[in-house]
Amino acid sequence: MLLNTASAVISFLTKLEEETAKFYADLAQKYPEGKETFTFFSRDNQKNKNMLERAYYGVITDALEACFSFKEGLNPEAYKVETKIAEEASYLDALNIALKMEENIHKAYTDAASLSEALMADVPQTLIKIANKRNERISKLKTLIKG
Amino acid sequence: MAILEEPIKEILMVKNYIGGEWVESKGELIDVVNPATCKVIAKVPISTKDELDEAVKAAKKAFPEWRKTPPLARARCLFRLKQLMEERFEELSRIQTMEHGKTIDESRGETRRGIENVEVATGIPSLMMGYNLEDVAFGIDEYVIRQPLGVFGIIGPFNFPFMVPLWFAPYAVATGNCIIIKPSSEDPISQMKVAEMVEEAGFPPGVWNVVNGGRTVVSAMLEHPDIVGICFVGSTPVARDVIYKKCGETGKRVIAQGGAKNFLLVMPDADLERTIAACMTSFYGNTGQRCLSGANLVIVGEGLGEHEYNQFYKKVVNAFVDAASKIRVGYGLDETVQMGPLRDKEKKERVTRFIETGIKEGAKLTLDGRKVKLVGEWPRDCFLNPTVFEDVTPDMTIGREEIFGPVASIMRARSLDEAIEMIHGNSYGNAASIFTSSGKWARDFRYRVQCGNIGINIGIVAPMAFFPFSGMKQSFFGILHGQGQEAIRFFTESKVVIERWF
Repeated sequence: MLLNTASAVISFLTKLEEETAKFYADLAQKYPEGKETFTFFSRDNQKNKNMLERAYYGVITDALEACFSFKEGLNPEAYKVETKIAEEASYLDALNIALKMEENIHKAYTDAASLSEALMADVPQTLIKIANKRNERISKLKTLIKG
Repeated sequence: MAILEEPIKEILMVKNYIGGEWVESKGELIDVVNPATCKVIAKVPISTKDELDEAVKAAKKAFPEWRKTPPLARARCLFRLKQLMEERFEELSRIQTMEHGKTIDESRGETRRGIENVEVATGIPSLMMGYNLEDVAFGIDEYVIRQPLGVFGIIGPFNFPFMVPLWFAPYAVATGNCIIIKPSSEDPISQMKVAEMVEEAGFPPGVWNVVNGGRTVVSAMLEHPDIVGICFVGSTPVARDVIYKKCGETGKRVIAQGGAKNFLLVMPDADLERTIAACMTSFYGNTGQRCLSGANLVIVGEGLGEHEYNQFYKKVVNAFVDAASKIRVGYGLDETVQMGPLRDKEKKERVTRFIETGIKEGAKLTLDGRKVKLVGEWPRDCFLNPTVFEDVTPDMTIGREEIFGPVASIMRARSLDEAIEMIHGNSYGNAASIFTSSGKWARDFRYRVQCGNIGINIGIVAPMAFFPFSGMKQSFFGILHGQGQEAIRFFTESKVVIERWF
């Protein structure tokens, strides 16, 4: 099922933010060495969710192409994230899972922004902003993995 | 994709809101039906003349105190109303989808547009200011004061049950008037919810009243000597022959917005991908049930030779038909649905008759929306899919009359002049758009076209709340328009004071 409307895409991305917020909150409890980073990520996810909702609910009008902005649509299957951590997983395993997840989410935001470019005004701009934030996370996680 | 949760779980009994009280009507009750599911979601009364009279009495009683209430205090009521609308944004939006059929994106867009009018009206302390000039003669000053007039009637259409009454109501009460809203009996729930929030926001009893019903209530409003003005949005015959005419006879102020037949021009230098996306919203958004919907798509061959024009024409038509055929039709609470049903079965039948007429008159049916294909299992009573006609000429019924449904009529014009002549040959003048990369063509279009709302690379030319919602020719009857500064002028009298002190 392709996500072809603003409502469907925003719901999908919002859900991603919620799931990853919980994921990082769990990691923060499990791995004291990464507590600070994971807690920051978890709180930042909530901010991202708020940004998404503000961009959508704040500017949507009946006149914008909300139902028709996402061209052929976004395939949610392409951005599936793994948020389960095995009981015996090490800190390094957790960082690698987080990295993979962030790369997927970054792609979801970038693709959604490019699909809706120029038609939804504030929405693609916000999507790019969050994609950039996710990119910073990717760098941070890579640094942590390298040790 | 899962259907969003419906906010209406059991059949609602719609009541009138008169003098700050929820009043049961003595009138007959009729069903409000969700057009996607065909389930009854509410019962609305067809109120009597006496009930309208009661509302006018309550409004008239409230007026002297309300007009004395400082504009800042009136604005604070509106601030609270806005806050409540924001808190209930999602509920309000889903209700619109349930009672009207539009998609959830469209409903949220409508909710936002409505709230924007409340926001603009909160600026009333500045908006309502008069002006002055000292020393118009030696020692003599002159100034203008804007004063409210009394009780206004607002008659809402079915296609925007939440937003359209808010083109007028916030400005009317902000300026110190009292109002009576008659929502469309087809989808009255939104205005009942608005009245609930009005009550919670602390508007004094009688300032904001809602009387549900049909023609009886409208006639009573038009005849009532204590109603000083009417705001109406609906069809042209009613706007022109009933509302405007009667208001003229009885000396009421009037804003009467009628129908439309909007032309969208695609020039050879248009950005086709974006143009097509904008056209989908324009022609098929709200299932074509809006006075700003695209109706006639004119493919203009300005500067092209015969062969080039034919190629350009085919390219636009193919892209348009391809996009239209992919539109997902179904229940608007499914987030992946892009077009909902018509408001009711009769409206679907009316649109179907237009399609049949188009075929009879020789237009080419390129995409037949009568072959209904839905996302999900829903009764098909009110659904149509997008329809596209080619080879339509301006004199054909489908090229001339308002269809108010998801039907696009594609026309050919060899030049911009010819396309503008087509627009001017039509009796309506609500909106027109041009899609082009040329500033010259765009300027020419904006300058010459006799329509109230002009779009340049815009599919739905919906003015923001701080601009008037314009309209010309058979699309608008009156002088001042709804929204923004013009609404402030409509709802106030300009009193001139010339002052000299001995």
